[in-house]
Amino acid sequence: MTTVDWSVLSGPRVSRRTLIGLAAATGAVGFAGRLAATAAAPRAVLGTIQDQPKQGGTLRLGFGISQIPTLDPAQETTGIVAGELLGNLFSSLVQFDEQLGLKPDLAETWQVSEDGLHYTFTLREGLTFHNGDTLTSEDVRYTYERTSNPDFASPHANKLAFITDVATPDERTVAITLGTPYAPFLSTACSRGPGRALTPVPRRPIEEMGDQQFGLTPVGSGPFMLVPETANTGGEGFEMIAFEGWYGGRPLLDKIVVQIIPEPSSRLSALEAGDVDMLDIVPPTGSAQLAQNPDLTLVDAPGTNWWGVSFNRARAPWDNPDARMAVAKAVDRQALIDTAFFGLGVPSVGPIAPAFGWAYVPPEEVETPQAFDLAAAKALAERAGLTGAKSSLLASEDDRPHQVLRNILAEIGLDLTIDKVQTATYFERRDAGDYDTMITGSVVDADPDDGHFNFFHSEGPWNTYGYVSEEADRLIEATREATDPTERAKLFRELQTLLQAEVPFAFLFHQPDQTAFHTDVQGYVPIPEMRYLETVWLDR
Amino acid sequence: MTQYVLRRLIHSVFIIWGCATLVFFLLRLIPGDPVIQMLGPEYTPEAAEALRRKLGLDEPLQVQYVRWFGNILRGDLGGSIASGETVTGAIATGLPKTLSLAALSFLIAIVIAVPAGVAAALKRNTIVDYAASVVAFVGVSMPSFWFGIILILVFAVWLGWLPATGYAELTDDGFVEWLRRLILPSLAIGAGYAAILMRFVRAGLLEVLGSDYVRTARAKGARERTVIVRHALRNALIPVVTIAGIQLALLLSGAVVVETVFSIRGIGRILVGAIFDRDYPMVQGVILLVAVIFVLANLVVDIVYTFLDPRIHYG
Repeated sequence: MTTVDWSVLSGPRVSRRTLIGLAAATGAVGFAGRLAATAAAPRAVLGTIQDQPKQGGTLRLGFGISQIPTLDPAQETTGIVAGELLGNLFSSLVQFDEQLGLKPDLAETWQVSEDGLHYTFTLREGLTFHNGDTLTSEDVRYTYERTSNPDFASPHANKLAFITDVATPDERTVAITLGTPYAPFLSTACSRGPGRALTPVPRRPIEEMGDQQFGLTPVGSGPFMLVPETANTGGEGFEMIAFEGWYGGRPLLDKIVVQIIPEPSSRLSALEAGDVDMLDIVPPTGSAQLAQNPDLTLVDAPGTNWWGVSFNRARAPWDNPDARMAVAKAVDRQALIDTAFFGLGVPSVGPIAPAFGWAYVPPEEVETPQAFDLAAAKALAERAGLTGAKSSLLASEDDRPHQVLRNILAEIGLDLTIDKVQTATYFERRDAGDYDTMITGSVVDADPDDGHFNFFHSEGPWNTYGYVSEEADRLIEATREATDPTERAKLFRELQTLLQAEVPFAFLFHQPDQTAFHTDVQGYVPIPEMRYLETVWLDR
Repeated sequence: MTQYVLRRLIHSVFIIWGCATLVFFLLRLIPGDPVIQMLGPEYTPEAAEALRRKLGLDEPLQVQYVRWFGNILRGDLGGSIASGETVTGAIATGLPKTLSLAALSFLIAIVIAVPAGVAAALKRNTIVDYAASVVAFVGVSMPSFWFGIILILVFAVWLGWLPATGYAELTDDGFVEWLRRLILPSLAIGAGYAAILMRFVRAGLLEVLGSDYVRTARAKGARERTVIVRHALRNALIPVVTIAGIQLALLLSGAVVVETVFSIRGIGRILVGAIFDRDYPMVQGVILLVAVIFVLANLVVDIVYTFLDPRIHYG
């Protein structure tokens, strides 16, 4: 392994350009070329950006969730709430650019030591929270102590477990020391939106109102601030107004009204009827319908997710690699995407999601033993005794991909029943390893680490299907300690090749991150799984 | 009568207690762990354990039950474990919406059902009767969520007359806006309800119209209008009131689905969300409320009988 300098992760920017340069320097020419090519590819048309942005107006955002349990970053567990709502209420140390590279947020610059153990952030001058309290390095340390306090039971505490010290030499400097290098640290713990563990929160309001209330009426430092009278009470939504004191200047919109609309078909109707101006995410089943409406703009960003079929190795026949491979080879991914999602999606060859352009390789450039080959699948199924066998597919809400998969696998003689349960039961059975197979995967990831460690490491919390591979463990650990992004990307691809061969999952598809809005909504910058709305304005 | 009402109220307390206790234990029997559900993608065994301890869900069941019941007696329904709000707070914001929806649905149902039922009975076996029967049949068969979606498509998306989702506060946004938001969901629930009521109005009236006292009234030379309204309809309404009371369940269960379709966070949607999230305190609190509503509604129905028919006495 070549030793490369960790400090390439230092900011004010960790850009594609750095990655391309590094890739070229280390001889990964194909990778550099691909990065350059994707950069040159035409992007989604985002209205007429050359128009002069107008200040003012209210954006009504239709949000698809049954309820928002909390808006406290340290307690919040839903990825879309983090990326799409918390990112507007809270700034963090760093934020994402359109390629999920990192750029400054509250921290104007940051330095990473060569050994990857010391992160030194320099905060901007004159930062304040929405209530006017100044935001200094001390608030970052308070946030660290709050999130990692065992009594507080933050679900994000584990992302801070690598930290051995947080020092604040002066008001603008935060020096964080890790016990061991942890490559995803900036993305998963320090980023605006997903980096909930270290998203700075103010001590005074939290001590005054308590943790519970802070989740309803949070005080952040992002471009928009919550209107306390419209406090989030779970299922109703809330309002945010422009924060005049944001370091980046006042955002263009006056107000954002977040309207919770749990039912996907109602969400589509609300957008078409003009009840809302924008949807957080387009339900895949409604994409084609919205695309036909001339009053609407649809914008795609590559997804940070992957989906596949997992096989519980504790149950026959899934302990047999031939049986797993038979399923993997039986699925025509594009046909599945066309039938289940009306063509919305990308065939998947592994767990590296398309949004992570620095590591992702398009399926047509990847040779995988899991590639669709019905004849080979039938032969394998025959050999593994899959023909005429029965098994079940654990499922919760969305039926479509399950139905389609069931029909596809009938082709190789497998009788798959769909074991449909409520979400709560689904998670419980998943975590207990009580299932034969299931369609699952990783969504709303800030870093590929989320979608790899959790599923494929022998100690990953969602590795409940019994995949233990020393080689996979070694590679995953290496990606966490990897010296630079190019090296990391190489390791992820090596791991992907291993996973394709050992078939812990039959990898199926990636879904794009699609949003839709009325044509008078302008200036939206698509960043995968994020909805940073400070640049949005209304042409009315 | 007072004694009767008192006795019924005491019975009611036991029914409600039984109901609440049953829900408490049944909820914990159904599969699904609130902590795992809450953590979702952030699940790790350590995080789950820490959260379970924080929420007091690691304690023995009987301890949790006694604590919960003690709190109820003090009027404290507890706090949602899935969101930061209190159960009382959620009910206080949700109940007015569900009651508005139920009241308007009921009104719509009555306005449709009584005239249609009377017309069908008086014009028995004519085109009017058949038409009313067909409409009622369709109304009963149509799931309210489906009808709701159709209403949204027609009146909100295509015609653009009414909003597709949401609720407006009567006090903040005014009567017109309140009505504009409620009319479609109320129609979605009220239509099915009207269909059922209409069949009972028709059947009840037909039966009464054949009775001796109606014939007597007619023989005395009373005007037809008086015979129908004063003598027949009043008696025909007794079974209708019974059905209306029982079918309160229909209104509430209709609200559960329709509130989701129309994105109104009333009691129904709160309850469904809480069940999906295994939000124990919230489910218990809302079910307790629903039990109270049911028991009281049945009591009211029994009392209303005595006004409709002076022969009914409770000793």
